[in-house]
Amino acid sequence: MKTTRVVIAGVGGQGTLLATRLIAETAIKKGLRVRIGETYGMAQRGGPVMGHIQIGDVYSPQIRPGEADALLGFELAEATRRGITYLKQGGLAIVNSKKIPPVEVISGIRKYPKQEELLRLLRQVSSKVAVFDATSIAEKAGDPIATNIVMLGALAESHILPFEDEEITTRMKESISSRFLELNMRAFRLGAEAFRESQ
Amino acid sequence: MSNPVTLDKVGEMVLLMGNEAIVRGALEAGIRIATSYPGTPASEIGNTFAEVAKEMGIHFEWSTNEKVAFEVAYGASMCNQRSMVSMKHVGLNVALDILEMAALRGVKGGLVFVSADDPSQHSSGQEQDQRWLAKQNCVPSLEPSDPQDAKDFTLYAYELSEKYRLPVMLRTVTRVSHMRSNVVLGKLQRLDREAKFDFEQFSYVVAGFDKLFYGREKEANEKIAKIMVDFDSSPLNKLTMSGKEKVGIIATGQTYNYVMDALIKIGAKDKVAVLKLGTSNPLPEGLISKLLKGVNKLLVTEEPDPFVELHVKALAKDVNPKVLLYGRLNGKLPGEGELMPLMVDNAIAEMLGEELPPSPRAELEKEANDMIFGRMLTVCAGCPHRSSIYALKRAVKAVKGDIHKVVINGDIGCYGLAWAPPMNYEDTYFCMGASIGVSQGMSQVGVDTIAWIGDGTFFHAAIPALMNAVQTKTNIKVVVADNSVTAMTGFQPNPQSGKTATGETTKSISIEAIAKAVGVEHIEVTDAYDTTATEAAFKRMLQTEGVALVISRRICATEAIRRMRPKRPIPYEVNESECVGCKICLNTFGCPGLNFDEEKKKASIDKTICMGCGVCAQVCSVGCIHERDE
Repeated sequence: MKTTRVVIAGVGGQGTLLATRLIAETAIKKGLRVRIGETYGMAQRGGPVMGHIQIGDVYSPQIRPGEADALLGFELAEATRRGITYLKQGGLAIVNSKKIPPVEVISGIRKYPKQEELLRLLRQVSSKVAVFDATSIAEKAGDPIATNIVMLGALAESHILPFEDEEITTRMKESISSRFLELNMRAFRLGAEAFRESQ
Repeated sequence: MSNPVTLDKVGEMVLLMGNEAIVRGALEAGIRIATSYPGTPASEIGNTFAEVAKEMGIHFEWSTNEKVAFEVAYGASMCNQRSMVSMKHVGLNVALDILEMAALRGVKGGLVFVSADDPSQHSSGQEQDQRWLAKQNCVPSLEPSDPQDAKDFTLYAYELSEKYRLPVMLRTVTRVSHMRSNVVLGKLQRLDREAKFDFEQFSYVVAGFDKLFYGREKEANEKIAKIMVDFDSSPLNKLTMSGKEKVGIIATGQTYNYVMDALIKIGAKDKVAVLKLGTSNPLPEGLISKLLKGVNKLLVTEEPDPFVELHVKALAKDVNPKVLLYGRLNGKLPGEGELMPLMVDNAIAEMLGEELPPSPRAELEKEANDMIFGRMLTVCAGCPHRSSIYALKRAVKAVKGDIHKVVINGDIGCYGLAWAPPMNYEDTYFCMGASIGVSQGMSQVGVDTIAWIGDGTFFHAAIPALMNAVQTKTNIKVVVADNSVTAMTGFQPNPQSGKTATGETTKSISIEAIAKAVGVEHIEVTDAYDTTATEAAFKRMLQTEGVALVISRRICATEAIRRMRPKRPIPYEVNESECVGCKICLNTFGCPGLNFDEEKKKASIDKTICMGCGVCAQVCSVGCIHERDE
C-alpha cells in the first residue's frame, strides 16, 4: 500500500497531539500500520512542537526531509519552518494564519516576519498552500481551543488520508468527552468548509 | 474511554506510546509495585501507572526521588514480588548506590528498572548514555526499537531477572518512549505470590555475613557470561543473513527503524546482512562473531555513544581483524547525539559505494532560518515564576545597587528558564538540588549568591544541602519558587500536594516547616502574583545575615486552569487610549500573552493565551491594563 506521511507543526498548548492521535487511532481501527514521532521541548506551552504521522509500510517515527505528503501547520512561522524542510515538492500545505509570537519577538529582539514573506518561501516548495485563520474559526465554533479540530477537519476534507471523514468523526465520538463533543464536531465541519473555500 | 493499557483482550491491536507499552508489559508480567520519579522522557510511564494502578490492584507511587523509588521497588523484590522502577537517564545517577547493591546481592521477584535516555538533549542537561552503568554494574540492558518491542521486552525482562536474580535495565531513548504505534496485546497476569522476605538469600544472620558480603563481583561476572550465551538465541536479537552479503549492519534499539527505512529506500535489502540488536549488555558475542566473519564492512548504529561499536571493535580483533568498521568511532556517523534518518541513509550508501544526492533545499532552509526566529524557551503565560523573577531582580537592584552583584544559582524545573529573555536572570543550574550546595561554596569564599529552587526539587534533593548550610553557619539566601506541583514533567503531585500518585488524600508536607525544623531562622512566605509584597520579602531576605529563605508561592497557572475547566479565566486587556507604547511590559516582563502593534504603537494582549493572572497590570507604567468585561 502507498505510504501516507503528514507533518504537524505548531506550538505547545495548541492541541497538536490530540489531532495526531485521532488520525492514528482511526488508522489502527482500519488495521493499518501507523508510526508517530513527536518532538517537543521542555516547556508546557509556547515551545515549537512537531508531530510526524506515517501510515503504511514504515519503520521510523521520523519522516525524512522532503517526503511529507501534507503539512498541517497550526501556527504561521512554525508551518513555514517545517514545511520548507519536510514537505515534498508539490505536497499540500494547510496553514493556520494565526501568529503566536515567541519571547524573542515579545521582548523586541526579533521581528515576526510578514505573512506574505513566509508564504513566499513555503510556495517555493509547493503551490498547493491553503491558508485560513483556523483560530478565529474555532472561536466561531465556540472556543479557540478547538483550533486543532478545525485543522483536522481541513485535512480530512483534502482526502490525503487513507480514510473517509466519517471514520475520523466516528473516532472523535468515541474518544472526546460528551461535554466537548458538539463543539468539536462543529469545529471539524467549519474546518472542512474553510478548506473547500480556500481551494 | 478507558485506557487501552488495561484492555483485557489478547491479540487486540491498539495505539500505544512506547512508555505506555512498557506499563502494559509490566502488567502482563504481573507486577505488584511500580515506583518512579517524573522526568522527560520517562514521565508517561508513571502517569500511566497512576491512572491504572487502582483498577489493576497494584501499588504505584511517585517517590520523593529516584533512589527512594529504586529502594522501594527493591524491597518488594526481596519479598518475591515483581516490581518496576522508572526514571529519566539522569535519575539513574541518583539511584546508582542502590542499583549497585541490588545487582550484587541479587533480586528475588523480578525487578526491572527503566532508564529513559535522552540523546540530543530534547529535555535534559546532558545526554549521558546509561548503558555504561549497566555494564559497570553487571546488569543486562535491553533496548526496544518501538512500542511493540517495549511491551514484549518488558515481559522478557521479568523472566530474565528471575532466572538470574538480577535487576534488568530496560533502556529506551526519547524516540522510543514517545513513539506511538500499533501494539498487539498479550495476556494480563496476576501472580498472587505470597509476600515473604527471602532470609536465605538476603539476611546476614541466616545466609551468613561473609557469604553475602564478599566476593559477589565474581558471581556477577559469571552471571553475565551465562546471559551472553542466552542472548545468542534470544528473540530480542534477530540476525538476517543469507551468507552472500558483503556488508552488514548492527542496528541497535531504535536505530533499527532508520536502517530498515534506508534499506528500503536504497533498494539494498538483499545486499546487507542485518542484526537487529535488542540486548546491548551483554552483547550476543556468538551472533556478532558470525556476522563479523561473514562480511567485509560492518556499520554499527546506536545512540548516543559508540558503546556497542567499541565492544564490536574489540571482538573484531579476534574474529575478523580485516573488517572495515563504520560508525561513530571513524566519523561515518557523528560522535554524539541522536541519529537522523538521513545520516543512516548516507552511511549505508557510502558503505555500498553509492552516493545520495545532497538536499536541494539547503539554500531555502538557510533563507528561512535567517528570516524566522528560533522560538526560545520561556515559562508559560501566567507563570508565577515570571513574576517571582521580576520581583527578585528589583529587590537585588534595590539592595545591592546592581543585579549582577549576586550569582543566581538556579535548579531543575520550569523556573530554570529564568535565564531566558527578557528576564535574563539566572547564572547556573546543574542537577537536582545543586543550587543550595554550590551557593554555599561561593558564599564561603565571599561571593554573594541566591539559590533559586522549585518545590519539587526542594523535596527531591535539597534538604541535606540546607541542613549543611545551617550547620556550617554559611550565609546563603534561598528562594523557593513554589508552584505546588511538579509542573515541567506534567503536574505530578509532590510531597506537599497532600495527594498520593493515585489521588488519595495524604498529609501535606510543608516546606516552611522543614526549613524551620532544620534550623533556618528567617523564613517568609509570599504570593508570587503580588509583586510588591514579594519584592519586599526578597529585600528583607537579602538584608538578613545567615541562612534566609523565602517561599514565593502560587499554583502553576496551567494547572490552575486545568482544575477550573471547562471554565476559562477572564483575560486582561490593554486600554489603547491609555497605553503610551513604552513597552515596559514587554521588555521587563515579556509574558507570551503580550504583543505589540508596531503600526498603532500600542501593547495588546492575546486573549487566547492570557491566563488572567493580572501581573502585567502591576508591571504597567501607566496602569492601562485591566480585566476584560465578560
